[in-house]
Amino acid sequence: MSAKLVIFGFGSFGRHLYKHLCDVDKEVIVVVDKKNYDTSFKHIVTPKKINIKHNEDIKALGIDEANDVVYCAMNKTAHNLFLVLSLKTLYRDLNIIAISNSFENARKLKYAGATSVIDLYEATSKRFVNMLTKPAVTKAVDEIIYNENDLKMAEIVIPKDSAIDAKRLSEINFKKHGIVLIAIIDRERGNELSFIDHRIDHKVDSGDTLVVVAKKDDFVAFGKFIAAS
Amino acid sequence: MKLAKNLLVEFAYFLDASRRYKRVKTFCYNLLENDDYPYKKYFDFFMIFIILSSVTLLVVDVKHQIPKWLDNLDLYVVTAVFIVEYIIRMWVYSDVHKLVIEAYEEALFFSKPFAPLSLFKKIFKSKWEYMITPSAIIDLVAILPSYRGLRVLRVLILFRAFKMLRYAKSLTSFLEVLKNKKFELITLLTLSGFFIFIAGIMLYVFEGNNQNPNIKNLFDAFYWALITISTVGYGDIAPITPEGRVVTMLIIFTGIGLISFATSIIVSSFSERLTMLREDRIVQNLSKKESITVICGFGLLGRLVARELHKEGVAFVVIEKDEALAEMAYGMGYKAICADATNEKVFAQLKIKTNISHVLCLTSDDIVNIFIAVNIKSLNPKVHVSARCSDEEIAQKMYFANVDQVIMPEEIAGMMAAVYEGEPVAFEVLLSIVDQKDKIKMDEIEIIEHGFGNQKTLQELDLDSMRVILLGILRNPQLKDSKFIFNPEDDFMLQAGDNLVCIGHETAISNLKRKMQ
Repeated sequence: MSAKLVIFGFGSFGRHLYKHLCDVDKEVIVVVDKKNYDTSFKHIVTPKKINIKHNEDIKALGIDEANDVVYCAMNKTAHNLFLVLSLKTLYRDLNIIAISNSFENARKLKYAGATSVIDLYEATSKRFVNMLTKPAVTKAVDEIIYNENDLKMAEIVIPKDSAIDAKRLSEINFKKHGIVLIAIIDRERGNELSFIDHRIDHKVDSGDTLVVVAKKDDFVAFGKFIAAS
Repeated sequence: MKLAKNLLVEFAYFLDASRRYKRVKTFCYNLLENDDYPYKKYFDFFMIFIILSSVTLLVVDVKHQIPKWLDNLDLYVVTAVFIVEYIIRMWVYSDVHKLVIEAYEEALFFSKPFAPLSLFKKIFKSKWEYMITPSAIIDLVAILPSYRGLRVLRVLILFRAFKMLRYAKSLTSFLEVLKNKKFELITLLTLSGFFIFIAGIMLYVFEGNNQNPNIKNLFDAFYWALITISTVGYGDIAPITPEGRVVTMLIIFTGIGLISFATSIIVSSFSERLTMLREDRIVQNLSKKESITVICGFGLLGRLVARELHKEGVAFVVIEKDEALAEMAYGMGYKAICADATNEKVFAQLKIKTNISHVLCLTSDDIVNIFIAVNIKSLNPKVHVSARCSDEEIAQKMYFANVDQVIMPEEIAGMMAAVYEGEPVAFEVLLSIVDQKDKIKMDEIEIIEHGFGNQKTLQELDLDSMRVILLGILRNPQLKDSKFIFNPEDDFMLQAGDNLVCIGHETAISNLKRKMQ
């Protein structure tokens, strides 16, 4: 069975999530609460209606703990928090992304076990402020995240017997490949994510993760390059 | 007669056409009445100085002999200044020549004879309007002491102190507060006047017939009543008969009531007006600044944006309809005005034509945001308006209304979540850059004309040694066709105006900024 994306909630957050996740080549399931279901979007998607308070209902969705990703995007943070808790008690290793409307709730959701929390208003307010004070940064972020542009941020896990295995970062000409390296998880130094500051010349080994910004084509080409032994 | 009429009309037209006349009059007006005029301050200080010295002379004169020249200076110079000021104020109050022209053209239009008498009446009326304003009366009374014939008039010099009210804004606003409670204050005065009247007469009846040596006439009795009712109680006049004492007891009780009444009136009027006064202050201060950012709505998003702007040191003001939220914004140390942003009034006060550069519509209601945006764009299309919106259909309408930027929180979350799919590490990096919670920042550094980076290649700059990652360069950021050049080559030549977009540790970024100065 292939990996699925499960979206809980089809309010204003859920709808936008659905719109963007539809582009991903995976099965998307929308789940809504039986009681508070807005029927006006029936034509877009047919959601599964469950009672989120019943564990049995959640189990019936057939979530695959290892591969699936669950998005908690109910309109009420309280519901999201409850969902995160229920899901975590059922599936210990599930990847859960929760949407929060404040820094404080983000903390609670993290505590409840969400893998990542998207702080809705925090991100929005940063965007409003950046627009005023840092137009160039806004433009750059726009190109990377918001615009349907070919520039993107992505991660690469170094495969076994890679062309760059056991090389130092300084030995690899990223620029030639059109790649900007942002951060690395160097397994030799623990699982910590560290941003590149050119102070430590990391040694790249298989299993390390590189986070880069690149044009899509360059990224694909780079992926091929490092895969070749 | 006809000649005189013609001369008058011609002179009026001459004044109307004369630019010099207009300039002089505007200058005088600005100096006297326009709070925003920068030199008015100096004029005010000068007037306050003259007034204070005049009052000082009055006090010193009580026990000491003042040199003749100083007395003359006070008599002639100060009086002259006051008279000139009075006349100029009257002059700038209204335009006489316009009235003349109006009357003449009206006569011409209806082919009626030009009637100077009704014209003079009109002119007199317009000036009379000025003369009966309280401040004009004070000005006039302040001139009177120059007539040395009457000793009592000397005290009127103190009216010159009242003149200072005109020059000190905070004093006027104090009076403004009391003005609002006119009805209550008048009630209070009438009531206490009534009690004093009754009590005074009663005491006079009981003790005035030589029973009490201190009460010789009605005036003494009224004086005693006032002193007693105000709970001051000097005791220089005290009742001695039992009847008198009963009256005293009664009016002491009424006195306590009246005083608490007065206190409550003043306190309540202040607490009511305090926010308003504070907002007036804010508006006044802000209207002198240029390029203010206005945040409309102090909800969840408004608060976050305000916090960030505050951190960045951007001058901004919060406009919020809800009183409690406006109060909260003020409590957090921001400049806040409780007003309806869908109305013109508050923006007119803030001088939207010249002083506002950005408006952020951040209320949680899309329709209100559109309303605010349209309101602003119709007042001044040059203001950069950005709005929060949660519906795509509404977003389109906003763009149609020329809103410069529409930001949808849900959209942002959706996109970010889509990035997450399959790439959790990249997502973490993205989050920490977007949220700027860690010490890692994404920032821009401008290349300036005479700074370090101008006309250098990237290689010469050696950003690696500065411990930052260069993501790209934004060329011509001011122009519409600004271009983001991603990952430029090493031999890329930098020029003034370029913005380097970098990711790095806070300290590294600020080091780089310093170097580029």
